[in-house]
Amino acid sequence: MSFKVETAPRETVIIHVGEALDFRNADEFKETFQEHIDKGIRQFILDFSDTEVLDSTGLGSIFSLYRAISPDDGKVAFADVSEPVQVVVQLTRTYKVFRQFPSVEAAEEAFAG
Amino acid sequence: MKVLTRKYTDLDRAIDEVQSLSETWPVARLNGSLDAEMIHCTSLVLHEWIANLHQHAEFRGASPTLEVRLSVQDYNVHCSVVDNSEGFDLNAHISSKDEELETLPERGMGLRIIETCTDDLSYTQTDDGLHCFEFIIPADHDPWLNTLF
Repeated sequence: MSFKVETAPRETVIIHVGEALDFRNADEFKETFQEHIDKGIRQFILDFSDTEVLDSTGLGSIFSLYRAISPDDGKVAFADVSEPVQVVVQLTRTYKVFRQFPSVEAAEEAFAG
Repeated sequence: MKVLTRKYTDLDRAIDEVQSLSETWPVARLNGSLDAEMIHCTSLVLHEWIANLHQHAEFRGASPTLEVRLSVQDYNVHCSVVDNSEGFDLNAHISSKDEELETLPERGMGLRIIETCTDDLSYTQTDDGLHCFEFIIPADHDPWLNTLF
């Protein structure tokens, strides 16, 4: 399964995570974001609206994204976080690192501001 | 006490199915029996455990077999997962995880998540040479990790 990606204004990329980000597709996720980092993108919105699974390896791959772009003041936002993902976000207190927005559009507006 | 029992010979299928406990586990569907967070925690722990077996366990050339058992007692979730792998020393792995973890780690969070979500965690050999992972998700638990940042 490949990740659906959209480009947005202000050099932002939206990655629709889909049903799962886990140990089985974390490498593919990393390849996906690395391709855009290589093109200079430093703002990422992760759309979790359809996501049933975010496991420790998937979360680790998001940490990799954050580590890759944070030296350049890059940003990663979580949008439309599903209930199973919210459990992981609360458990790991990931909300301290990644801002959450109720929708992709709200995250885009925040990045634009 | 009703026990939900599922047997698997395909670890990928087992991982996919434990994600849908809220739909497939009759107790979970009854209003007020379990809150959604407990069900998601149960799914997460099972996912992390089976993923760990999928990636690291040695099955001595045999096809993997798993038996997952779930029940609710006094509003707490009780779960066991019996497998035919060679097993490993869970306590030793958990102890080693107590060593300082890097900030925003890419790996090594799975057992921490399992340990944080559960009570009475154990992984022991059974009389017939299999290995049994057991845990409880307590109803009054508000788990969180504070070691990642």
